Amino acid sequence: MHRFFRRTDIGILIGCIFIFILFSLWNHDQWFNWYTFTSISRYTAILGLLAIGQTFVILIREIDLSVGSVYGVVGITFISLEHQLSVPLSAFLALLFALTIGLINAVIVIHGRLSSMIVTLGGLFFYRGLVYVSTHGGVSGPPREARLDWFNQLLGGHWFRVENGFLLLLLIALLSGVLLYHMPFGNHLLALGGNSASAESQGVPVNRVRTWAFMICSLFAGLSAIATLANDPQTSVSLGTGLELESIAAVVVGGTLLTGGRGTILGTVLGAFFFTAVRSEMIAFGAPPSWYTSFVGIALLLVVTLNTVLSKRLTAG
Amino acid sequence: MLKRLFCALLLSPFLCFSFVGVAFAQGDHYRFVMVSHIGSNDPNMNWLTTSIKTFEEKYPDAKAEYLSTNEYSLQNFITILNQAIATHPDGIAIPILNSEALQPILDKAVKDGIPVVAFNISDPRPQEQRIHYLTYVGGDEYLTGLKLGQYVIEQVNAGKVPKPTKILCANHDATHQGLKARSRGMTEAMKKIGVPVDELIIGADPAKARSVMQSYLSTHKDVNYIFCLGTLSVPWAYSVADEMGLKPKLSDKGLTIVGVDDSPNSLEGIKEGKVLASHSQGFWLQGYLPMEVLYFYKKMGMSPLNDIITGPIVINESNVDAWIKIVKGIIGEEAYKKQITW
Repeated sequence: MHRFFRRTDIGILIGCIFIFILFSLWNHDQWFNWYTFTSISRYTAILGLLAIGQTFVILIREIDLSVGSVYGVVGITFISLEHQLSVPLSAFLALLFALTIGLINAVIVIHGRLSSMIVTLGGLFFYRGLVYVSTHGGVSGPPREARLDWFNQLLGGHWFRVENGFLLLLLIALLSGVLLYHMPFGNHLLALGGNSASAESQGVPVNRVRTWAFMICSLFAGLSAIATLANDPQTSVSLGTGLELESIAAVVVGGTLLTGGRGTILGTVLGAFFFTAVRSEMIAFGAPPSWYTSFVGIALLLVVTLNTVLSKRLTAG
Repeated sequence: MLKRLFCALLLSPFLCFSFVGVAFAQGDHYRFVMVSHIGSNDPNMNWLTTSIKTFEEKYPDAKAEYLSTNEYSLQNFITILNQAIATHPDGIAIPILNSEALQPILDKAVKDGIPVVAFNISDPRPQEQRIHYLTYVGGDEYLTGLKLGQYVIEQVNAGKVPKPTKILCANHDATHQGLKARSRGMTEAMKKIGVPVDELIIGADPAKARSVMQSYLSTHKDVNYIFCLGTLSVPWAYSVADEMGLKPKLSDKGLTIVGVDDSPNSLEGIKEGKVLASHSQGFWLQGYLPMEVLYFYKKMGMSPLNDIITGPIVINESNVDAWIKIVKGIIGEEAYKKQITW
């Protein structure tokens, strides 16, 4: 029992149960409506994929502020390549581009000995600028045959009325969980986040682990963009604007410590679900969507406080 | 000695250029700056850059520069405005994105001898309170909403589209007072037939905007019109409505979408029967005329007494083909195709 309450994601677990009961009682018809589920699961998938990638970086006590712009630039690359190449090849090249961005971030952070906040802040502006310059403000949708391609149908379609993007999120969450908690790479990553000097002294390939963390983060941002566009190919150069902060908020609310070393993938996914569900219900209740921005701040403080208080009290007892 | 000669040779081109610069500034040449919020992220930028190029060709003694932000940020906009003022241009054309924020900066520029022309968005306050610009060149955002609303009523009376029960104004930028004015215009038009209008801030990210609209529409089932205040959100609104089974294709039933701007997205939407109507605010004139006003003000001390209203012109199925031709002529066939996201 104590072990359960020592989980860093206990706050978000309670938060999600609380909003589920609250919305079920308060707004039953809307909450158990299929459109609501579709809308929430679709956006949870987008934000969740970004946030899982961000979790890997935060676990090693770094941060990636460029994910929103990476999501944008990889998405625009994917949709542009679809005009020239097959859809799977376009997706492959776009993901390769995402991995390269992650690699560049890691190389600059590690070998330049610069703060990841500064490096990825530069990336945030650079990749967004790249989108503007390369598109001149207009992004044409993919050709009709590309929209009907099996790959886009697979990522953007449904399976028994459940969004495939959401199923992709669950699959990636599962694989990430296995990678983090049942593979040597995960042990190394958590050890590095906990105490990098100690990890290095125990033979953890610190630079390699950090490089992979940044690459996974960019890769998942790219994957999220491709899944988004496979579903809704009408897009614009503003694709991904502001998503970097939402992804960080989802990770922090999900219980991952900004000091690194502790956190869960489940908490991150629940964090993404929590924000998406509350925004949806706030709009349904008639609250101006701009209130949501303030709500994110309040929720962040509440859940993090709840996490800290619960883990202290219950483990002390 | 050789070292000094080498240095002199190296510096000579820079010295020559600096003298040329002084000579240029002292001659009868003018340099005007258009500071804009319509950047590379907005397809409408082509209208403005093309028209100021035409201005430069017509008046070889004048140079027009285009500076813009690439995101919806008032803070960044003010930064580039300050940078433009620091270069002491012969005139500035600027949209009044936020009267209170821009007033102290622009009034100081005017006091320092830099004439200002407002374009695209005017200062909505009464004449005696507004920023001291020479004139305003642009559409009337309130009229845009009003005229499109009146067009909806005309089409309802003609039996072509359903009678509105409630209208949603989808706003992608909460800080843009022009979009708020469009929404007010639509609200005013709908007052006459007793139809309520809601404004929803959807944000600029497509996925988030769709999610917000879907949440709203699933609980506001009485909404049967979406007025997209920006051209970006027109296809997003259509796809959300289509997915929710609200039948957005134009007919006398289902949900009807009204767009804005003469962008390829809105024009193709009208052509394909997905959008009832859109508008043009005369973007080409909004780029060209402010430069000409500044030019004649500097050259002859003359400026118009009244604002120059360049739009709205309602675009519908009857004139959409002509508009497609005009737009292709301005931005080119390839760029036109590239901007269609349907």
